[in-house]
Amino acid sequence: MLYTCIVNEEFILKWKSQVKKGTLAFIILSVLEGHEYYGYELIEAVKKFTAIEIAEGTLYPLMNRLKKEGLVSSKWVEQESGIPRKYYVLSNAGKKSLHEMTVYWNDLGVAINKISKSK
Amino acid sequence: MMKEIEFQDKTCQKLYDNYILRIKRQTSTLSKEDRFDIMMEFNSHIYEALQEGENKTKIEKLVEILDKLGNPEDVLKSMVADKKLIQATRTFNPIHVFKAISLNIASGISFVIFGIMYLLLLAFGFLIVQKIFHPDEVGLFFKKGEFFLLGILPDRSHHHYSEVLGNWFIPVMLISAILLYVLLTLLLRLKRKLK
Repeated sequence: MLYTCIVNEEFILKWKSQVKKGTLAFIILSVLEGHEYYGYELIEAVKKFTAIEIAEGTLYPLMNRLKKEGLVSSKWVEQESGIPRKYYVLSNAGKKSLHEMTVYWNDLGVAINKISKSK
Repeated sequence: MMKEIEFQDKTCQKLYDNYILRIKRQTSTLSKEDRFDIMMEFNSHIYEALQEGENKTKIEKLVEILDKLGNPEDVLKSMVADKKLIQATRTFNPIHVFKAISLNIASGISFVIFGIMYLLLLAFGFLIVQKIFHPDEVGLFFKKGEFFLLGILPDRSHHHYSEVLGNWFIPVMLISAILLYVLLTLLLRLKRKLK
């Protein structure tokens, strides 16, 4: 009995980390919608809504990928401190992609709710 | 030049310098611009994060910030491998191609095949050099009309083998190597597009 408890716990932990990994891009694009954030600010904004327990540094390779895919664009903005900030915004392709992702996400939610209720 | 953050506390400065150095090392294979961009972005993150959290000492803040960012070696691994691949397929530069293959080799069997193709390429180059110094022992050898060996004949006392390429050996090897190289680069490019 105890044994199955431990196994399930581990399974759920892994599942959660997969879900987080799979939805991180979606979360970031959603947070960026209608805003212009620099890296650190973006992480803070994401953390406000969700408790992501990832190494914050992994956000930068992800932003790099989103940029390569043409979903976001970025620009360096000089600061008084002499240490510039890199600002990110959604591109038009990013806005469209986010819209499609949102539709898919909502459909999935509806489907899961239906399954749960039918039991 | 990137403006680095200056600390009054020596331990802080050491911690920070060490972290920046690790990013530099991890990104050493990238182009200057890519490297600079990554460094600037991490530097900006550290600087901005230091402006928050008033109740903590600088060292406490810095330790926490760097801890949350993660190890540069882990965090930048996929990005470095990816950027190297783009660079390699764009330039046809053998050093970039070699590095891109070795960085990506963990990510799939296809890169092992690329690796083998690359080794073959090096072998062709090696044979060309050997042919110049040992013209009689290096070549494409046939035995009784069948393919026997491409390379260096282990024992030169055997005369059952005939070398079929003669003076054409070096040009043929050279053309094979070039063709193989172009094929390799085009396949890498295709692979990257499919990714």
